[in-house]
Amino acid sequence: MTSKIEPRSNESLSSDRGAPVERAPVGVLSRLIGRPGSVRREQRKFLLIAFVPVIALFLIIRVIPIGWLLGLSFTNSSLKRSGARFVGMQNYARLLDDSQFILSFKNTMEFVIISVPLVIILGLLIALLMNRKLRFEGFYQILFFLPFIISTVPVAIVWKWIYAPGTVGLANYLLMSVGLPRVGWLSDPKITLFAVIIMYVWKNLGYYVVVFLVGLKSIPGELRDAAQVDGASSKQVTRYIDLPLLRPLILFGTIYATIAAMAVFTIVYVMSQGTDVSAGTQISVLAMQIYQEGFVYGNMGYASAIAAVLFVASLLFIVIQFRALNRE
Amino acid sequence: MSTNPIRINLRPMHRFKWERLLLNMVLLAAGLIMIFPLLWAVMTSFKPSIEIVSHTPSILPQTWTLENYVKIPNIAPFARFFFNSLIISGVSTIFVVAGSVTAGYVFAKYHFRGRDVLLLLVIATIIIPMESYVIPLFLTINTFGWVNSYAGIIYPTIIMSTGIFFLRQSIVSVPDELIAAARIDGCSEFGVLRHVIFPTSSSAIAAIAIVNWVFTWGLFLWPLIVASSANMFTMEIGLMYFQREYIVDYGGTMAATVVTMIPIVIFFLIFRRRIIEGIATTGMKGV
Repeated sequence: MTSKIEPRSNESLSSDRGAPVERAPVGVLSRLIGRPGSVRREQRKFLLIAFVPVIALFLIIRVIPIGWLLGLSFTNSSLKRSGARFVGMQNYARLLDDSQFILSFKNTMEFVIISVPLVIILGLLIALLMNRKLRFEGFYQILFFLPFIISTVPVAIVWKWIYAPGTVGLANYLLMSVGLPRVGWLSDPKITLFAVIIMYVWKNLGYYVVVFLVGLKSIPGELRDAAQVDGASSKQVTRYIDLPLLRPLILFGTIYATIAAMAVFTIVYVMSQGTDVSAGTQISVLAMQIYQEGFVYGNMGYASAIAAVLFVASLLFIVIQFRALNRE
Repeated sequence: MSTNPIRINLRPMHRFKWERLLLNMVLLAAGLIMIFPLLWAVMTSFKPSIEIVSHTPSILPQTWTLENYVKIPNIAPFARFFFNSLIISGVSTIFVVAGSVTAGYVFAKYHFRGRDVLLLLVIATIIIPMESYVIPLFLTINTFGWVNSYAGIIYPTIIMSTGIFFLRQSIVSVPDELIAAARIDGCSEFGVLRHVIFPTSSSAIAAIAIVNWVFTWGLFLWPLIVASSANMFTMEIGLMYFQREYIVDYGGTMAATVVTMIPIVIFFLIFRRRIIEGIATTGMKGV
């Protein structure tokens, strides 16, 4: 509607500015760029000098790199030498024999499968509890949201110190004070990944609490009142009103949590730096492998193949979840 | 018969109060678990080193000390790191706001061929994690010679797909008549942005700016790849570096960690409502 130009407003615009109305020939040019001072002309100008640069940057930064990445994954591109050769499926074939990649892939899947249900279910539970017109809601929001809003590196370092080996770390101290044996939180390969997942859930839970809480608040109160008048218990209200209406948001939250967990990097990186180097390779994940191969060893082609796997696996997860949660 | 309704009303109210207390206690306990690691870090940072490795740790320091904080400037230039983070988040946010308003306005109010396809492309890129395409991004800035520079660190953060989409959704509801009136008054399209779009969408724009600020402040993988010398480190990278070098100095590490947390905590406490709203409605996805 806006771009439909009424001749009247053309005239008035140009005469407002005191610019002489040129007798533009009725041709391609005038239809394309409009008369000087006309709305269409202004819009074309705006598209050209403001919108086109933004969209060009968008394409260059957000779209082209993905195609480029897929292309790179079929080459032997390296940071150590210039020029790259097409090597076909060689990088992908190598992935199948790379035990470190297979471990990273397995760890990433484990990370997603454990952490996503945890953040969604706990987040939903706490949001449902908080949505009862509490007096100190703002205070609780701060408590739950602080770990999320603080950047990952400092909180990961705090947790690393809590997980510190021997009696120094708080986690072991707490275990011992209730009579349980000490645990090698960051050195025992069986436990380390779970230690990282605990930290990850703690860090990100607040986000899901807030997303679900905002969703719950947007459900009209009359719906709940009506159900209660009809004799529904608060459990039934949750089950038959809150949860079904929250369904789209739960779908969004699950997809978002999956993508975030697929690409987890910072926590794993911080946790694997320093004392327990052997555990570092044990808890490696896909994003960590991309960093290692690409930026530590400089194998851009091979790292691109790992990134392509991450990309495709993320897309697959989205499709599966969309199908599963969006059936009706 | 007339007493009956009163009894029915009283009973649930009585039970309700107990439920409420229990609810508050559960939430408080859960909230304290959430906050405890952070409190523990703050307390540790004020303890002398003998107390930190003590076998019977206590939450509050027995003797309070600032020694862990005093030595920070000798070990790593955190003021510089802070300044770098400020520049990166600031410049990125200016670009993101300008770009998102422009593109959001065009997607909402212009009609041209290919518009919907482009918008769909913007939405599709929201869900793709940046971690998966850091390699081509790095090759780009490597070509420009931007490795270890502000330009290199800022480069991939100047476009925010979420911002474009979110502002498009917001600007769609600005009445066309307002825009037409501004044009008739002689506003150029930039004038329309300034006099109509900015005032009517200010809270959406603020949400985008804040979310982008928090997102860029917490970036890790990208600056880790691009920044190679201390004078380009952000607070996150600087802290990581400090932590690696002084691994056994728990007190110093905790003090540096607390210093790194402070700016964002202050920012959060000031803009809490807007941050929570913005993050819940935009999805807090920086890319």
